[in-house]
Amino acid sequence: MIDLTGAIFGFLIMLGLMFIGLHVGIAMLATGVLGAMIYFGPPVLLSYGTNLWAVMNDFLLTTIPLFVLLGEILLRAGITRNMYESLTDWLSRMPGGLLHTNIGACAMFSAVSGSSVATAATIGTVALDEFKRRAYNEPLVLGSIAAGATLGILIPPSVNLIIYGALTNTSIGQLFAAGILPGILLTLVFMAIIVIATLWKPSLAEQVTEVPPLTDRLSRLRYLLPPLGIFVIVMGAIYGGWATPTEAAALGVVLAFGLAALNRELSFSMLHEAFIATIKTSAMLLFIITAAFFLNFIVGLLGVPQAMSRTVTDLGLNATQMILILVLFYLVMGCFLETLSMMVGTIPIVMPVILHLGIDPVWFGIFLVIMMELALITPPVGMNLYVVQAVRGRGELADVYRGILPFVAAMLLTVGLIIIWPQIVLLLPEALF
Amino acid sequence: MGARKNARPYSKGIQMRIFGIFGGYACLGLSFLIFFEIIARKLFNHSLQGVDEIGGYVVAIIGTFGMALAAVERAHTRIDVLLFRLPKKVQAILNLISYIALGIGAAFMGYMGWYTLDESLTFGSVSSSPLQVPLWIPQSLWMLGLVIFGLSALWTAFRGVLALRIGLKEAEKVLAPPSINEEIEEVRK
Repeated sequence: MIDLTGAIFGFLIMLGLMFIGLHVGIAMLATGVLGAMIYFGPPVLLSYGTNLWAVMNDFLLTTIPLFVLLGEILLRAGITRNMYESLTDWLSRMPGGLLHTNIGACAMFSAVSGSSVATAATIGTVALDEFKRRAYNEPLVLGSIAAGATLGILIPPSVNLIIYGALTNTSIGQLFAAGILPGILLTLVFMAIIVIATLWKPSLAEQVTEVPPLTDRLSRLRYLLPPLGIFVIVMGAIYGGWATPTEAAALGVVLAFGLAALNRELSFSMLHEAFIATIKTSAMLLFIITAAFFLNFIVGLLGVPQAMSRTVTDLGLNATQMILILVLFYLVMGCFLETLSMMVGTIPIVMPVILHLGIDPVWFGIFLVIMMELALITPPVGMNLYVVQAVRGRGELADVYRGILPFVAAMLLTVGLIIIWPQIVLLLPEALF
Repeated sequence: MGARKNARPYSKGIQMRIFGIFGGYACLGLSFLIFFEIIARKLFNHSLQGVDEIGGYVVAIIGTFGMALAAVERAHTRIDVLLFRLPKKVQAILNLISYIALGIGAAFMGYMGWYTLDESLTFGSVSSSPLQVPLWIPQSLWMLGLVIFGLSALWTAFRGVLALRIGLKEAEKVLAPPSINEEIEEVRK
């Protein structure tokens, strides 16, 4: 049995191995092996053999490559530009104009893709093109794209939620349902921030005075159908009770395939690019997941959960205090760590505390994902900031830093809201299951 | 990263992308299989047996072969915040170490995997489902993927050493974590 010092020491060793550039999966495997060797000796390692097969052979994990494939096909199905145009029709008259389109387009794209890099790069390419001809405050434009693109990991289907569910044994269906309202809330808070900012300082955004005729706008609504339709069918299949999440993912792939064929975007070279990207991403995820399961197993044997729970009891912390500590913890971690690594690397030590304090694991999953979203946009190393800057291809990264600040505030506000009213997260999963 | 120049000492040598293409077709095929299973179940009240079981095998197998592809294409996640701030020479050494460690890690997984496969072979285990699949069949493919994963990580390290003899810049192309621009290129392809 290990004590708290040992556990923290192990965690720091893992972080150290990550920071010197070892692959994240290797850092976790090595930490697990080290712990097992020090406290038990080699036989424990062998006993994990059958688990290794069981983890990778799990039907639940089949969901991951299928959702990744769904996103990769849609990315190439030629829907983004039209979708952006149609959203502009309806959102541009609000104060802040096309900035709202950025948020809306990201939210909608997120509903079918689980990758924030893909969302930021795709929407960013289309959007920055639009803004070239207009007078907007550039930092705010960049910020709205970087922030909007984080919605991808919160709005279901989200690969991050699947991984969280697999590692903590939480229902994927419930997690997906739980992501919907906070996803909408966050979208609205982003939009509210834009409205407030532009009302306060109208020069930040161009005022759109005329919009295309209603008939045009209505006819362009059909461009919103594909992403919305796929989202509704995939989610509907899960909550209608006639498909598991994995089956729903497969359904989505078939629909996306049909859509790409309909848009005449389907070709062998397009499919093969989508396939290679899918397999690379899925394998990268599976490697980290496999390592995380192994580490979790060793951490459990070592008695880390008990050590962590004891500490929390000794400190006399209640659930709210613990969550506030974790907000700070993840804010700091997010400044240095890649988001998925941050999630899987901290679950083994944080989850026992959460369960010990009686915090709902579904709620915590959503909380964790919002903290990951924050990590994607907090300077200095938020991934999305770099993606947007790279898509822009000129100017200073500092512009993006400036533009993101209102959205960081918006996200912290949202975290506060779900802490005060956990029902925002739990309402849908409780109603549906 | 469209055009790869192959006539270089650090060329990938083996075209791992074929694993990605095969794996992709397997996923697409699996999706259609599951799709028909849903239709059959809803409309004709008839269930094709064992689709989920096949799905599990497919993912386990494309998973390990995919890990090999991800290794040569530098797609396995690394934290580069600190790495990029170190002197170039130190970076090169750490890059090399990371791929050797990846090879060792894969070997370790292969060692554990062998334990599973050996057990299935010894006891003639079959899956506890109507399909009664002899487990050694999917497991040996899965195991083969793990072996190739380990070899491709070491192969990448070896290519890195060859590239290092030309210069640090060349070695970066083989071993360094991909830059943001490279990742965006991937999305846009």
